[in-house]
Amino acid sequence: METFVSFLGGFEALLSWEVLGFMIAGFLIGTFFGAMPGLTSVLAIALLLPITYTIDVVPALVMCASIFMAGMYSGSITATTINIPGAPSSMMTAVEGNALMLKGQGANALGHAALGSMIGGSIGALLLMAFMPIAGELALLIRTPGKFSLVLFALVVIIIVDKGAIAKGIVATTLGIMLATVGIDVLQPIPRFEFGTELLVEGIGLMPVVIGAFAVSEILVQAQNWNLSLESTLKRAKGLKIRRRDFIPPWSEIREVGFFTYIKSAFIGYAIGILPGAGGSMAAFVAYADAKRGSKKPEEYGNGSREGIAAAESANNSMCGGAFVPMLMFGIPGDPTTAIVLGVLVINGLQPGPRLIEQQADLIAPMFASLFVSALILIPLTLFLFGPYFIRIVSISRGLLYSAIAVVALVGSYVATYSVFQMFLALVFGVLAFFLRKHNYSVVAMLLGFILGPDLEQYLRRSLSFNDGNPIVFLTSLDSLAFLALTVVFAYLILRKKPKLDAIP
Amino acid sequence: MNNVERFRRSALLFPVFLLILTTIYLAEALSIRSQFGGDTIVGPRFMPILMAFIMYAALVVVIVGEWRKEAEAAAGGSLLRPLLIVVATGIYIAVFRPLGYVPATLGFLVALFLIFDFEKQRPALFVFYVIAVTALFYGLFAGIFGVRLPPLLGGF
Repeated sequence: METFVSFLGGFEALLSWEVLGFMIAGFLIGTFFGAMPGLTSVLAIALLLPITYTIDVVPALVMCASIFMAGMYSGSITATTINIPGAPSSMMTAVEGNALMLKGQGANALGHAALGSMIGGSIGALLLMAFMPIAGELALLIRTPGKFSLVLFALVVIIIVDKGAIAKGIVATTLGIMLATVGIDVLQPIPRFEFGTELLVEGIGLMPVVIGAFAVSEILVQAQNWNLSLESTLKRAKGLKIRRRDFIPPWSEIREVGFFTYIKSAFIGYAIGILPGAGGSMAAFVAYADAKRGSKKPEEYGNGSREGIAAAESANNSMCGGAFVPMLMFGIPGDPTTAIVLGVLVINGLQPGPRLIEQQADLIAPMFASLFVSALILIPLTLFLFGPYFIRIVSISRGLLYSAIAVVALVGSYVATYSVFQMFLALVFGVLAFFLRKHNYSVVAMLLGFILGPDLEQYLRRSLSFNDGNPIVFLTSLDSLAFLALTVVFAYLILRKKPKLDAIP
Repeated sequence: MNNVERFRRSALLFPVFLLILTTIYLAEALSIRSQFGGDTIVGPRFMPILMAFIMYAALVVVIVGEWRKEAEAAAGGSLLRPLLIVVATGIYIAVFRPLGYVPATLGFLVALFLIFDFEKQRPALFVFYVIAVTALFYGLFAGIFGVRLPPLLGGF
């Protein structure tokens, strides 16, 4: 209870002009990147990662949280208006929202998307604050073999979540772990894989990997698929007339959707957020399918169902809160955004774990408050203020945009250590990630392998060294056994279940 | 499709490239020596060797899968534009310090705008955007965040 109260104190930090400014700036940047097809909030946070070196940890975390929430919501803007989801998590919203748009009810669809995001995001942030202390208590019970099994569980889930390409998932994850082994060994002062150069003795930093994987590779992917049709679609859409008063959904429609749908979808999204590698797309899809299954009007799905929009948007925004739980408690990020936030924590000398919650709640509480305020206030406020101009804003030329992103990405990778070598590494990882994406290997799996690799190695070797190299310790330790059993259960559930294609109209 | 054509497909060449990388990685891993306690299961080369073998196994599965595929799915447009960007970026990185932020970034943006066909028909706007973007990010990094960007011609 005491910790929960200290989390509520995070709202006080938002009253500082500096912190408030970073939160609003982050939200606007996140909205733009989320709405713009081809850009994502992950890219926005990746580009801003170098800046976090130059600002305090509280505004940096607050900004990351508001970008995360904004990016998740704003994907619905172009999804609804021009049927191009700004973010993958808005696929379901594109189906229903654009159908309403074609009926002349686009503003109404955007209003329902914003309401769903607002309710889901707020519930997710509250659940995060409420359950974090409990998660902290549980985390204290886990010992070294259990930590190894937990990291292994996370990596296995990341791999099998894309069950159509498990071998490629293993390749990407292993590649990430291999990259993480470059530099000083985790337990002994021995440099590994430095190939005779001092530049690699300290290992590969998170920054060039993140910027390469998400910024440079995105520019290369867009360059390969360059066509001006999207540009002309956006220019045509500029003429769409959207009025502010239509954004507010009528009470009768909200009642028809039902508060139970919002709340249930938010809980689904939060639970999926806790799972490593699942992300907003899965949250939106599962909640949408669940809402359709229990709907009184299933025939509306595919033809402009407001209930479908509410379920999908409520779930993907609630996912934001859930994704922070494993990252803050165990250093296991649930998705690429929280992986980068983990980088921000580490850059600032903060170690995830129960002690972070106990002793440094004042540093992370404003981040939770930022999630909540972004969802509850900034989503509806941004829609009301900028809604009529959204299409005009995202119609900016992509040639200009990607050129500017290239400069920010490269200069950004330089500023952290004032090293041109970091820029070079960002380019190398960008090219590598480009080929990974081109051949359907998960870049997210590579990133999470890179982040979790050192923990996996450290816990494995520590557990074995305390037990004379006997691996039976992973079965005799109860916490470890529980996570190994959980891994088997998840693998069975995910691999056994066939995808329900009928959920997508 | 004959075997040579099959092998030339980039979907197959990429895992083969990773296979070569893994072999170099494994060779380097085998040369790691523990500082104390000998090269036991808990030594510094255990994890890299384990990862290399897992990588080999996964790559074999991927290569066999790709080999069996009859036709490659459409994989987007030409690689020329990404290649040009990689070359332009490589040059930018090489001249970033010697030339300084401003001239290097001006040149980089000219190259990118040409590659992305941005405002090629309107030279005045082209030049305006090149200067504006360079100035904008100089202001952001050096002005707002106080970052020391490389000065003109290395400070001379």
